Amino acid sequence: MAAGMIKKTFLAPLGKDNPVFVQILGICSTLAVTNKLENTMVMTLGVMFTTALSSWTLSVMRKWIPSRIRMMVETMIIATYVIIVDIALKAFYPEMWKQLGPYVGLIITNCIVMGRIEAFALQNKPMLSLVDGLASGMGYAYVLLVIAFFRELLGTGTLWGYQILGSWWTNWSIMIMPPGGFFMLAIFIWIVREAVFKEGTK
Amino acid sequence: MKTQSFYAKRIQPLVFMALVTVACILVTAALHLSTLERVQINEQFFLWRSVLDAAAISHDGQPESVAALFADMAKTEGNQYTVQAPDGSTRYVVEITGPGLWGPITIMAGFEEDLKTLAGISIVSQSETPGLGARIEERWFTSQFAGKQGPFRLVEEGTADAPEEIDAITGATITSESVRNIMNRVIAESGNISRGQ
Repeated sequence: MAAGMIKKTFLAPLGKDNPVFVQILGICSTLAVTNKLENTMVMTLGVMFTTALSSWTLSVMRKWIPSRIRMMVETMIIATYVIIVDIALKAFYPEMWKQLGPYVGLIITNCIVMGRIEAFALQNKPMLSLVDGLASGMGYAYVLLVIAFFRELLGTGTLWGYQILGSWWTNWSIMIMPPGGFFMLAIFIWIVREAVFKEGTK
Repeated sequence: MKTQSFYAKRIQPLVFMALVTVACILVTAALHLSTLERVQINEQFFLWRSVLDAAAISHDGQPESVAALFADMAKTEGNQYTVQAPDGSTRYVVEITGPGLWGPITIMAGFEEDLKTLAGISIVSQSETPGLGARIEERWFTSQFAGKQGPFRLVEEGTADAPEEIDAITGATITSESVRNIMNRVIAESGNISRGQ
């Protein structure tokens, strides 16, 4: 397998094919979990784990899956990995598990996971699918972390739970509520498309 | 186009799906069973910690010392906990649940021997807005109730000075009101707590 192919597969979801700001996938969780940096980190690690391993598993199985039931099989495999994440958090990181509540289980419905399986893993070799899944998860992760950085900083004056801004700072409550997620995501997409892709000038 | 045989069209997908399902269930069930003990220990730890917090027993938050303190001082009697404080007094801790903004809020309320004065409270579970309503778990908020008798009245954050006044959380009016309602209810019912033998 050419190293160039792996590099291309790895870099596409981080930039020009980013699942969040180009494909506009996985938006629901972008709004739900990005009001605290720590929660976002755990959530995105869970998504990375799930996209990478479910892409790999389904790519290994792709020759045997009867095409008419492939979506059932995909959902089953994705759900299994998500439950693994949920059980691991519950057992070893219970404080975080309590905070994230139902959102970990909702990774199953994250369109990026199934989207990458349908679009990539079913046509490509396992290693390449693993790279694609992992990179898609990372492309999702860094966008969410950027959004969470601003939401937590402006909304509560803290980062990772530590106070950053002094008492002169008035918290923007809107930032940690769902509308804040909409605003930050829209601003982020706007800046990237305007400054990086230069869509406005085309 | 070659028509698929009955086996390939009907039987094989069923068998395949059944095998995948069994394999997935085996993996998740094994993982669930192997971590079950740890999960129960975690839940036990959260419960013990909130009882100790409500009874105003200071601890360092480590699972081992919380377990040791609880075993040493606390007794479970039905749905209430009796805690022997180091200063010789007895404190009674009850659990109470009421509606919050998004879901139920469960609070441990600790009473002094007179069954009127609060020793402390702790939040057992809540699903309020992170960063706003979820701040009811923060120490500055829960510690406001200690040593007071209620019934409570909410005032703007940072302005409480009378004994019945409680700082509400800015941006979380409904959650603050829910906690006030739950606390006023537990105070009204505190006479029913049994002092035991």
